[in-house]
Amino acid sequence: MRSLSKIILRELRLLGSDPLAWFCMVVAPLLTALFFTTFMWQGLPTDMPVGLVDGDNTSTSRQIARNLDAMQQTRIAATYADVSEARRAMQRGDIYAFFYIPHGTTRLANQQKQPTISYYTNYSYLVAGSLVMRDMRMMSELASGAAARKVLYAKGATEQQAMAFLQPIVIETHPVSNPTLNYNVYLSNTLIPGILGIFIFMMTVYSIGMEIKNGTAGEWLGHARGSILTALAGKLLPQTVPFLLAVALMDVWLYGVMQFPCQCGAWAMFGIGALYVLACQGMGVFMIAMLPTLRLGLSFASLWGVLSFSICGMSYPVMAMDAPLQGIALLFPLRHYFLLYVNCALDGYPLPNAWPYAAFLLFFVFLPLFCGWWLKRQLLTVKYIP
Amino acid sequence: MQRYDFQQPFRDWWHIFRDELRTVFRDQGVLIFFILVPLGYPLLYTYIYNNETVREVPAAVVDEGCTAVSRDFVRRVDATADVRVVAHCASMEEAKQLVRRREAYGIIRLPRTFSQELARMRQTSVQLFVDMSGMLYYKALLLSCTNVSLDIGAELKVKRSPGTTDEQDMVTQQPIRYQQVDIFNPAAGFASFLIPAFLILLLQQTLVLGVGLSAGTARERNSYAELLPINRHYHGLARIVLGKSAVYFLVYLWNAFYCLFLVPRFFTLPQIGAPWDVWLVALPFLLATVFFAMTCSVLIRQRETAFMIIVFSSVPLLFLSGVSWPGWAVPEFWKVVSWAFPSTFGVNAYVKINSMGAHLAEVRHELFCLWAQAAFYFGTALLVYRNNIAASRRRMEQKREGIRQRLGQRRESPSTAQ
Repeated sequence: MRSLSKIILRELRLLGSDPLAWFCMVVAPLLTALFFTTFMWQGLPTDMPVGLVDGDNTSTSRQIARNLDAMQQTRIAATYADVSEARRAMQRGDIYAFFYIPHGTTRLANQQKQPTISYYTNYSYLVAGSLVMRDMRMMSELASGAAARKVLYAKGATEQQAMAFLQPIVIETHPVSNPTLNYNVYLSNTLIPGILGIFIFMMTVYSIGMEIKNGTAGEWLGHARGSILTALAGKLLPQTVPFLLAVALMDVWLYGVMQFPCQCGAWAMFGIGALYVLACQGMGVFMIAMLPTLRLGLSFASLWGVLSFSICGMSYPVMAMDAPLQGIALLFPLRHYFLLYVNCALDGYPLPNAWPYAAFLLFFVFLPLFCGWWLKRQLLTVKYIP
Repeated sequence: MQRYDFQQPFRDWWHIFRDELRTVFRDQGVLIFFILVPLGYPLLYTYIYNNETVREVPAAVVDEGCTAVSRDFVRRVDATADVRVVAHCASMEEAKQLVRRREAYGIIRLPRTFSQELARMRQTSVQLFVDMSGMLYYKALLLSCTNVSLDIGAELKVKRSPGTTDEQDMVTQQPIRYQQVDIFNPAAGFASFLIPAFLILLLQQTLVLGVGLSAGTARERNSYAELLPINRHYHGLARIVLGKSAVYFLVYLWNAFYCLFLVPRFFTLPQIGAPWDVWLVALPFLLATVFFAMTCSVLIRQRETAFMIIVFSSVPLLFLSGVSWPGWAVPEFWKVVSWAFPSTFGVNAYVKINSMGAHLAEVRHELFCLWAQAAFYFGTALLVYRNNIAASRRRMEQKREGIRQRLGQRRESPSTAQ
């Protein structure tokens, strides 16, 4: 116990005087949380610019354009003389999509000759493209419906009859737990812990690696009377506290201030966050044990940390990846944090429902037990080569 | 009068260039980020997203009426590429259990009155509950169900107006037809959308990291922890900056060729731009990034600092570039912040040319900004290096003065003792 407190005090002195530690443990996590939540303040982007090529130029085509403009996600930013001009505007990035109503549309529709209107969406910007596509598709359906409705009304149908004829089956969607399709909820909940994870990996690797680099590893182990676990505990606990504080602040910010859905309660999310912090620290110890040179260890930490965002499946589902990647995904703490968050906060299922992921995180926490002896050998034998 | 030796600057430049080249290729850390990461990371990343979109999202069906029409609906949803019906459940409770066990990501519920209402010529509804852990599940389920409902709806309309010709039926189905054209990324794929932006960002981040590491190493190796060695060749500001930057630029010419041309080809991503246009964008982008990196590198006192600051900024930078999050929805403040980074304009220009086949005229704005950045950061690189040299000279002078004083004292003290 005495040796543990000795190491903790030593570590606190080291951390306190290191501006880099302050940056990683205090400044950067706060900045990240502020960045993402203010960046996606709107939640779901609205009024995105689309173009219109109206070759028809009749009251019907203008009606279509007006309706499109009134939709939530789209705004008609400009009208173009022809399709090539609209395409160039799209290539400039002025608009994300455009609507094309060819010459003679109204005339053909009145003659019941089935004209075709089209809309062009640019999926090079996938999010923007998908959002405007929905509105444009709806508009096209309505345009078609409006023409048919005119005929039906003329034949004496009531509105109810007309709607039942035009759209016999309606799809009612219920996006469970995120009814407004808020992208901020969907992204911030995983991106912020992901960045926190990078810092935890790095701080763990950095603080142990510096002992090797400065040649003080022997002294550090000496304080622990040769016990690597005591040495690690003394070194990492002073870092765990600020990281836990960061998690607490993040939870207060996301679930308290921003009011993101959290069905399990903020305390449960804090528990999961704490488990995640410890898991990342365990992983960090593993990294420096495997690559006991500071720069290699840090490279490992940064590459693993950055890869977490893609492989955790928050934006692109893991089930759509190739089989080997689905296995590798399990080696990333963020993947398990994401699944636990979905299980507890988003869907509101009890934690035992997702026990395998919690078990994986626990495995990461206890990783130093398995690689400690190896790290000790490295600490005592490896010399820093600049 | 001494004649000015015109060859001297070139000799110095060559010396600095060779020196830096040697540093880069001898330093493991720098090599990782200059060579290894640009080589391997794009392959790994593209491999992750290579399947482009999610297919066969598992869904549970609760068909309460179980009539011919409702079964037809379910069959057609199952037949779409994006959705797979994994279970027919007797109740919502049962379906919820499946979602809870992650065996299904959505529930399609057809009410008991589904066929009845249709037969009575009333509007009927299908309820769709979607797990919101991923937007792609939502998109797949919603689009598939909507498409099926429209198809069945169109067929019903025809059935309800008897005694017509096929031509008339077509018109009844859809008085105005519509057509969706997905241009530039026809599969609406994830790799085609994200990877081009990622590649440019990777070039910038590894370059900044590598230069930062090399500066950190230089400080650790040189005497008195100075950024530049004390050497007769290291004078002349432009020589130093141009000598070092030439090395980085050369290494990244290859990296740019590999990332911007070969990687998209390996994975058959969209690549419809004219190669020369891509180079004309890559050139100012690389220059701007090199000088940006050199400016930043002066701030780095320790090699490790480079990692911490640069790695974490990668994800925010991707968002700032306006590709993964629509640029139009970016708040004004962050938009201004994004102008500081070459990646913002680099990503947009490359996506526009490479994925959307734009010509230089369409990326005029980005091109201008990149050249402006290149010029600006060249200026700042000169400035910070000048300050750095001046400061280190001052420190040297102080040290020399200190030594001289101490020597002087020592010389004086024996004489006073005598």
